[in-house]
Amino acid sequence: MLHYVASPPADFCFLSMLSSGMELPMDRMTGEFAASDARDELAAFLVAVSRGDRSAFARLYERTAAKLYGICLRLMHNEAEAQEVLQETYLTVWRKADRFDPAKASPITWLAVLARNSALDRLRRRSLGLDELEAAANVPDGDPSAFAVMVAEQDSVRLRHCLDTLDERARAMIRSAFLDGASYPDLAAREGVPLGTMKSWIRRGLQRLRGCLEE
Amino acid sequence: MTDTPPLDPEMRELAAEHALGVLSGEDLAKARELELTDERFRAEVARWTGRLSPLFDEVDEVAAPPSIWAVIQRRIGATASNDNLVELNNKVATWRAVAGGMTAIAASLAIALVWTLPGTQLTPEPVQRQSAPAPMVAMLDDQGQGTKVMASWDPAAQQLVLAVSGDLKADPSHSHELWVIPKGGKPSSLGMMPSTKQMHMRLAETLARLLENGATIAISVEPRGGSPTGSPTGPVIASGALTQA
Repeated sequence: MLHYVASPPADFCFLSMLSSGMELPMDRMTGEFAASDARDELAAFLVAVSRGDRSAFARLYERTAAKLYGICLRLMHNEAEAQEVLQETYLTVWRKADRFDPAKASPITWLAVLARNSALDRLRRRSLGLDELEAAANVPDGDPSAFAVMVAEQDSVRLRHCLDTLDERARAMIRSAFLDGASYPDLAAREGVPLGTMKSWIRRGLQRLRGCLEE
Repeated sequence: MTDTPPLDPEMRELAAEHALGVLSGEDLAKARELELTDERFRAEVARWTGRLSPLFDEVDEVAAPPSIWAVIQRRIGATASNDNLVELNNKVATWRAVAGGMTAIAASLAIALVWTLPGTQLTPEPVQRQSAPAPMVAMLDDQGQGTKVMASWDPAAQQLVLAVSGDLKADPSHSHELWVIPKGGKPSSLGMMPSTKQMHMRLAETLARLLENGATIAISVEPRGGSPTGSPTGPVIASGALTQA
């Protein structure tokens, strides 16, 4: 599963200075409890937002915007567009928070998926050269991909293990597709291989991944 | 109740590809259509999304520009009473652990902090000025209640970092709002504190100008979401003057 409490970025010198310079009680248990607290808190915010609670929405934004902005930037490769996607995402959260089901996904994963789907929509629209209005007309309200029920949210250790069983190339392509929003044609062009080759690399990778995850 | 046949392998593959996000053109259109019409397909896409979601762990947090929240608030029809001019970046658990050790080391940290401010990767390099303004610190005192808040301000990068040792009393119906009060001036809001332990933000130019030597930094208790008037309305629970580090 995706832990809400992200590890600090590498440039967070303050922390590395602390941990190297003096002994602090970086208790693992404390971290675990805090992660589950954070998850419960975010879930509570989402439930409150679904009832139109603006201050819960503000708190939710404060807690999650940096993670979601990171995801949008990674996908859009462009600050202005990433910011638009971030806005769209939170506007969707405001309207559709009732679609969140704490039994099926962690709040931060649900939000991350929403952000990613908004970003992907925009990327694909761009690649199709569609006019925004036309594209918007084609996307039905409540596109199910945006609210997809998450069944069996994966344990991250397990996913990492299974990704490691793939060959390096397939692993890199899968990661890049998911996080950078690269499509088959993008990946094929980047690697300088025919489209069909790229498809078979990734399809084989996905098959192996499923086999490993379902073991 | 009818038995639904399992998804055939080709459709399963398409669902995996759709969750991964690699489809384009006709295949993408087909996957979207199936998502709307076929519950099994939708479930398979969701299952794959769940499988791949730990990859989000690899994405670094990046503080969003403050203007975003203002726009969102406007678009949901909230009163723009307190435009959040701060970037809020919360790393709760780590900081909970760190804050325990804060008091003893706060003083030595004050100087180190301002030189090692965490920058966001997309922050443009600050413009080099003829003589870079000196970093400043403020120790916010709560009149002996046992809480200390250390603020450090790097004018060149327009970055403000706050670290709290001890506990700022928090209750669900109130927020902590941060203020700057220039010498002889009126308080201006720097935004809400996202947690009671730490905050890290970049300030807009108009606010950054107020953080000068001798200005007071203060925290007040306000209704959830911030002061309704734009000035502090609740008790000030900690304050201190900015001085050059």
